[in-house]
Amino acid sequence: MKFLGYERSDGSVGIRNYVLVIPGGFLASKICDLVEDTKTILTADTGSGRTSRDRETIARTLIGLGRNPNVASVIVHSLSAGSAYPELMSTRIANEIASSGKRVELIDVSKEASTLGAIEKGIQLAREMVLEASRLRRQPFDLSHLAVGVKCGFSDTTSGIAGNPVIGNLFDRIVKADGTAFFGENTEIIGAEHVLAKRGTNSEVTRRILEVAAETEEIAKSTGEDIRTINPVPSNIAGGISTLEEKSLGAIHKSGSAPIQGVLKYGERPKGKGLYFVDNWMSMGSIFAGYAASGAQLVIFQLGGGGLTGNDLLYTSTAVVAPLMWTTANPRTLAMAPTSIDFYSGTVIEGEDTIEEAGEKLLQTVLDIASGTLTKVETIKYVNPTQIYLKDPCF
Amino acid sequence: MVSGGALMFSPEDNVATIMEDVKPGAEVLVRLGKEVSKIKTLESIPFGFKIAVSDIAKGANVVKYGESIGIASRDIKQGELVHIHNLEGARGRGDLAKGGSK
Repeated sequence: MKFLGYERSDGSVGIRNYVLVIPGGFLASKICDLVEDTKTILTADTGSGRTSRDRETIARTLIGLGRNPNVASVIVHSLSAGSAYPELMSTRIANEIASSGKRVELIDVSKEASTLGAIEKGIQLAREMVLEASRLRRQPFDLSHLAVGVKCGFSDTTSGIAGNPVIGNLFDRIVKADGTAFFGENTEIIGAEHVLAKRGTNSEVTRRILEVAAETEEIAKSTGEDIRTINPVPSNIAGGISTLEEKSLGAIHKSGSAPIQGVLKYGERPKGKGLYFVDNWMSMGSIFAGYAASGAQLVIFQLGGGGLTGNDLLYTSTAVVAPLMWTTANPRTLAMAPTSIDFYSGTVIEGEDTIEEAGEKLLQTVLDIASGTLTKVETIKYVNPTQIYLKDPCF
Repeated sequence: MVSGGALMFSPEDNVATIMEDVKPGAEVLVRLGKEVSKIKTLESIPFGFKIAVSDIAKGANVVKYGESIGIASRDIKQGELVHIHNLEGARGRGDLAKGGSK
């Protein structure tokens, strides 16, 4: 059970081979428009007018994306609305990424003749860096080098019965092989936190899982609204889910059965391997970039789809540097979006596969994608914007 | 798992998940592992929605996956659809927290 990946200087293994340009914005987008195999983050979250906690989250996300194994080298520039805050200084971000041993080039816009001059310098640098990255060859590595993050969405009954349990089986296989797996969505553990908390490897992990659920529920209550009018979202209710508790109890199946090693902040890198819960928000516009910043090379959207209205699912990866794959267990969803879904686990409901058998097939698909096969939405160049998960009000 | 019928996940469950659209008066095979029982439906229930496998009194827990998924907001008869019209969440109830209207 090996995949073909790119070895990095810190011992991590990329499944893609990109040059990353950060922070996002005009300069980065102009470089990426012109130069192949470059990526940048498209986001309005620059840090301007944000608390130090939120600025640190943005910095952690940018640094984490830069350190992601799928990134060969990084260009950091100083032309960003937030880059004068200490947390977001380009020198700090560049230094922390460079500590992984990968090449980081800093463009100090104030030292270039103009913004356009900085763009020209960036384009030349990026061309040189992708050329350098392209000389690297894939080699076989075992699963212990793989980290995967999952979100379930448009959840319906098939999610809890087959879709999420098959992801859970994949997670168990990855964790057993000493790999790393991330799940999260703090609202979608409310009503199921007592079940998850028992799986903490120690009392601190257990306490933190319960604390995340309690904090999230308190914030929800402070709105004065019944959370059912917010989450489960209308498509969940149209798909047969009646309450948040029901959604949560189905959702946690995607974590499998392994012990939970820790609770991470959005974009935080784990200290070890194994299964981690991430305190994050369910939106696909937010969650995947956080997993990639935590080190995931691949992200999975496990789709219910009962409430879908018939559109093809051309939602592309917001994980910036990590490819997104789509799975579903709902035959109607598969029929609606065959050009987007990479793996179908409805065979479990149809009686063709056990969860175990479908999990084995999913692992093979994951290994193929890790070895370079594109996910279906990776064939599309458009990228949705990323919403970094910030917790404080803005001023 | 077999297509069609309805699925229970735990012996404590008082609802089962319908695996193909059913009409009122239909007999539904309810599976719990290898055990199979029959329930007559009282109304149409679409794929993916829940059917009560026993009578559930107003105020009682509605149980799926062996855990409470909320509270019955009125008496529910065996064979009825269980959804937002007769099942309320117990968690994240900001509407009740403020001394609420309900």
